[in-house]
Amino acid sequence: MLPISHRRHILRAALATLLLLLGSTAAHAIPAYARQTGASCADCHAGSYGPALTPYGMRFKLNGYTDTDGKGHKIPLSMQLIESHSAPARGDSSTQLSEGDLYLAGRLTDQVGGYVKIEADHTGHNTYNPRLSNVDLRFVAKDLKVHGKDALLGVSVNNSPGFNDPIGALPSFSNLGPSGVTGTLLNPSSPNSLANRVIGASVYGLYDSNWYGELGTYRALPTSQQDRLGYNVAGDPGRLSDTGYFRLAYMKDMKRQFFSAGVVGLTTKRQLPRSGPSDDLTDLGYDLTYQYLGNREHIVQVAYVNILERRDYGSAPVIGGVQARDHGNVHDQTASVTYTFKQSYGLSVSHMKSTGSNDVARYGPSGSPDTTSNVLTVFWTPFGRDDSYTSIANLKLAANWFRFTRFNGRGDDIFFAPPGARPTNAGDLNAFFVTASLAF
Amino acid sequence: MLNPIVRQTLRLAAMALLAGGWALASPVRAGDAKAGADVFKSECAECHAVKEGRNKKGPSLFGIVGRKAGSVTDYEYSDALKQSPWTWTPQQLHTYLSQPAKIANPGTKMKYDGLTDAKQLDDLISYLDTLH
Repeated sequence: MLPISHRRHILRAALATLLLLLGSTAAHAIPAYARQTGASCADCHAGSYGPALTPYGMRFKLNGYTDTDGKGHKIPLSMQLIESHSAPARGDSSTQLSEGDLYLAGRLTDQVGGYVKIEADHTGHNTYNPRLSNVDLRFVAKDLKVHGKDALLGVSVNNSPGFNDPIGALPSFSNLGPSGVTGTLLNPSSPNSLANRVIGASVYGLYDSNWYGELGTYRALPTSQQDRLGYNVAGDPGRLSDTGYFRLAYMKDMKRQFFSAGVVGLTTKRQLPRSGPSDDLTDLGYDLTYQYLGNREHIVQVAYVNILERRDYGSAPVIGGVQARDHGNVHDQTASVTYTFKQSYGLSVSHMKSTGSNDVARYGPSGSPDTTSNVLTVFWTPFGRDDSYTSIANLKLAANWFRFTRFNGRGDDIFFAPPGARPTNAGDLNAFFVTASLAF
Repeated sequence: MLNPIVRQTLRLAAMALLAGGWALASPVRAGDAKAGADVFKSECAECHAVKEGRNKKGPSLFGIVGRKAGSVTDYEYSDALKQSPWTWTPQQLHTYLSQPAKIANPGTKMKYDGLTDAKQLDDLISYLDTLH
C-alpha cells in the first residue's frame, strides 16, 4: 500500500488543483474578444462571464477566434483579477487577491488567432506564482465547400487535451472534473494531469455546421520546461509516447435550443516516473449537452460527461506486502445544470463522481479510489450585455459551496488515521468560497 | 389581331394575376413588434446590435427599415451587398430574411439560414421598423 505520507501528498495536490479550478471557474471570459468582435460577453457566455459557451461562442472558437467587427485591429490583451474569501470546513478562513491573469487573445489575420493565458496564483506570504496556463493557437480555413455543404478546416496547437473543444463540456474547458486520488487523463483535476504540461497539435473540421471531428497528438513537456513555465515538477504527467486524441461530435443549433452528442478518446503510453515502466492508458468517453436559450431571458444549460479509462500497468509491484493489480479502470462522470436569468443571475449545480477498480496496493486499505463531490454556485454578473453599462468588461460575484461525500472510497476516516489520531472525514474537505472576478 | 379592348383586358388580368401571385408569395403583414423583439434576440442579436453606430459581426440595425443596403459607413460590407440596388423596405427585408442569405444575396458575408415562420418574420420586421 502507498505510504500514508504519499497519500497525503496526493490529497494535498488534489485539493490544490481543486481550489485552483474553483478559483478559476470564471476564467475564460475575454473582453479582448468582445472589443474585437463588437459582441457582448453575453453573446458567447450565457451568464455573461465564462466559461460556459453559447452556440455563438462555440462558432467563434471554431473560427479560430478571428471573427471581427471589421473596424481594424484591436489590442489583443485582457486582464482578470480574482479576490476570494475561502472558508474550509477544517482550517482557517482567508481573504486574498487569489489570482491575476493576463490574456493574449485575439486575431492575427483572418485565418490565424489564439488564446494564451498567463496566470499568477497567490501562494501565501504576499507572493504569486506566475505560470503559463491554457494555450490554444489556431489556423483555420473557412467557407470551404465539401459535397456542396459548408465546411471548415483548422489546426489547433494547444496544451491541454479537450480545452480546445468547441462544445466546452469536456473537463479541460468546463473546469468540472472529479478530484481524487486518481482520475482519467482527460480530467485536469487528476493527480499528474496532462493539463498545461503537454504540447500538442490537432486537425479539426466542421461539416455542414453540425458534424465536428478532430484528430491530434500530444507530448509531455520536459520537466525542466515545466519548471520554467511555473509548474512544480512533482506534478509531472510523466513521459508520454504514442499519444493520440480523437473527437467526434454532432451539434445542432436551433437558435432557441441547442443539443450535442459526442465521443472522445485519448490513448498514450505513460512512464511515471519517467525512468519507470510504461503504462498503457486509454480514455474513451461520451458527452451530451442541451441548452434552452429562448429569447435569452431564461437560459438552462445541461451537460453530462462520462469518461472511462482502461489501464494496463507496466508493472505490478508489491506495496506494503500487497501485490498491485496489473490492470484496472477509472471512471469519471460529471453532470451539471446551470440556470441563468437575464444573462446576469445564475445558479449552477454540479455532481462529480470518480470510481475505479479495487486495488489495495495502489489506493490504501479501502482499496478504492472512489470520490464523490458536488459544487453549488450562485452568481451575479452586472455587466457584459448589449444593454448594460458596458458590454466589453465585466464583474462576476460568486458564492461556491464545495461538498465531498466520499474520498478514498469512504465517507469517514479517509486517510486511515492511526489509533489515537483525529480522523479526517470526507465532509472535512468541504469548503465555501466567495469570489469577485473582474475582467477588462 | 385582337381587339384593343380585349388586349387591354388581358393586360390588366395578367397584371392582376402577377400582383396577386406576388402578394400570395410574400405577404407583409403588420406584425407584433413586442414579439418581434424576442425573435430578434433569438435570431439576430448575436451578430447585430440595435444601437446606432455599434457594429458587431454584422452592421448596426438602427434605422434599418428604409435604409439603402450596404450604407453604414463604418462597416465593411461584402462586394455583393455593396453593389446591390436594394433599399431595406419591409418587403425587401421579408424577401431577404425568408430564405438563406447566401441564396438571397450570393457572396454576402451574412450566414443565416432564413426565418421560415411567417408570423415570426412579420413580428421581426415590425420590430425592426421601430428602430429609429
